[in-house]
Amino acid sequence: MSAPLLSIRDVAVRFGGIVALDGVSLDVAPGSIHAVIGPNGAGKSTLLNAITGLYRPANGAIFLQEKRIDGLAPHLITRMGIARTFQNTELFGDMTTIENVMIGLDRHHAYGLLTAVTHAGTFKRAEAEAREAAAKLLDLVGLSGQMTVAASALPFGNQRRLEIARALAIQPRLLLLDEPAAGLREAEIDDLNAILLRLCRTQGLTILVIDHVMPLVMTISDRISVLNFGRKIAEGEPEQVRREPEVIKAYLGDRAKHALGA
Amino acid sequence: MTISKTIAAFVGVALFLISPHVLPEFRLFQVCLIAATAVVVLGQTVVTGFAGQISLAQSAFVALGGYGSTILSTSTGQPFWVTLPVTAVAVGVIGFVLGQATLRVSGHYLALATMAFTAIVQLALIHGDPLTGGAAGMPVPAFEMFGRTFSTGGELFYVILPVFVALFVMTANAMSSRFGRGLTALRQSETAAEAMGLDVLRYKAGAFAASGFLGAIGGGMLALLSTYLDPAQFSITQSVYFLAIAVVGGMLSPVGIVVSSALFVLLPELLQSFQSYLGLVFALLLLGFIVLRPEGISSIARTLVRVKDSSAREVP
Repeated sequence: MSAPLLSIRDVAVRFGGIVALDGVSLDVAPGSIHAVIGPNGAGKSTLLNAITGLYRPANGAIFLQEKRIDGLAPHLITRMGIARTFQNTELFGDMTTIENVMIGLDRHHAYGLLTAVTHAGTFKRAEAEAREAAAKLLDLVGLSGQMTVAASALPFGNQRRLEIARALAIQPRLLLLDEPAAGLREAEIDDLNAILLRLCRTQGLTILVIDHVMPLVMTISDRISVLNFGRKIAEGEPEQVRREPEVIKAYLGDRAKHALGA
Repeated sequence: MTISKTIAAFVGVALFLISPHVLPEFRLFQVCLIAATAVVVLGQTVVTGFAGQISLAQSAFVALGGYGSTILSTSTGQPFWVTLPVTAVAVGVIGFVLGQATLRVSGHYLALATMAFTAIVQLALIHGDPLTGGAAGMPVPAFEMFGRTFSTGGELFYVILPVFVALFVMTANAMSSRFGRGLTALRQSETAAEAMGLDVLRYKAGAFAASGFLGAIGGGMLALLSTYLDPAQFSITQSVYFLAIAVVGGMLSPVGIVVSSALFVLLPELLQSFQSYLGLVFALLLLGFIVLRPEGISSIARTLVRVKDSSAREVP
């Protein structure tokens, strides 16, 4: 395995007396799709929030390639190339879909305050370039027909796609997806799978996905880590993890066969 | 679009050149008062409307703009048109620092913190006798430029109106640029804005800086119009007054702000026999808009357009 893109070393997160993550270590290989699964309350979202800087680990360290990122402010971590989506979608509801995506692109098509107040100089070109790049990303996730719709007016499945397009706008090296398939129908999950695989294979994007929807995780993941009660209890390729007795016992229980889609 | 804009600009310039010759002095004074008030409230709109941060610091910024440029002019002998921009930039910096200090809290607590700032500034003006003239206040020097003195409404009209138009256009432009987009985004979800790489605290503090700058320029204009600075003018109530104008105008609409400023400046004259109940009228206006039209005057205009469109469509 080549040097990991993201390396989580012995990370612990506590809320008062509650230990949400307890010494979790994880390596994400560049260009791979890595899944973290586990029952509710296993610490999956906590892990994601620790990576993006919303929570500060009480212990351990997180590295993006060689650089340590834990303890940095969330917007600085984003600027280093880590983008994320949210479990319950956090779109800018009053803004149009294209404006939502442009928020992430603005940093790459920047202009100064003087240009902004006069709309002179590079303003028109920079805005047009950002708009064009945003349109491309919307096209990538299949929303090119909805560019001027308010984000809050989109159906839920499309809101999820918009979140992915918006996350891609910051031009990330690593994309974190927080339960991207929750609340989606099967056909929508297939579409999502196709989008994620295309991003990974053709653009070399590394994806860390958190989910408990098995069809998504099992089909697209190169590697799966399993969390339970804040600890990592198993890791390996999907086939390996699927057969791990510890996983079946702790996480999948009696309904294992059904949940695994076997 | 560009043709209609050109026509609008043409009509605007024509009105600007003609009105000093046809309008009486008192009306020109009122136009100046509306323009100055609108500049102040534009600042309120940036911070409260776009960035979504409740601020009651606007009257403090207005006071700092008026006092700052007056003190600077009398002590250095520099003309007002030099000292006011300098003061406004300094007040902008104060706004930025105030933002950095207070924006760690939000909602009611932010309102309280900014209210405290206004109270402190007013107290400092009352007790800073040697500089500010204390509770008695101080006179504002006449505005001089190119060896000419502008003191009446009709004369100040030529100074205040162009500055107002420039600041109006610049604010509207900034709000429809990536900066306005960033503020709009963080107003709706700070978490998501951070996740998109926006430095949320800096954006919000920047909005406070803009409101400080605009408040100070408007404050300087108001000082020139009233010709006298009295610390009693710059109370927390005055901050609420500016906030009320912003609410009635529709927090996100620069044009609505101008209409609303006109309403608040002209209403006292229309309700002259009603003078002692003016506060009540303003309060009812504010309450009415919050309950019935939270998006302000601009939303009424939009509804009217929609009604007109739909009735036009019904006609075969």
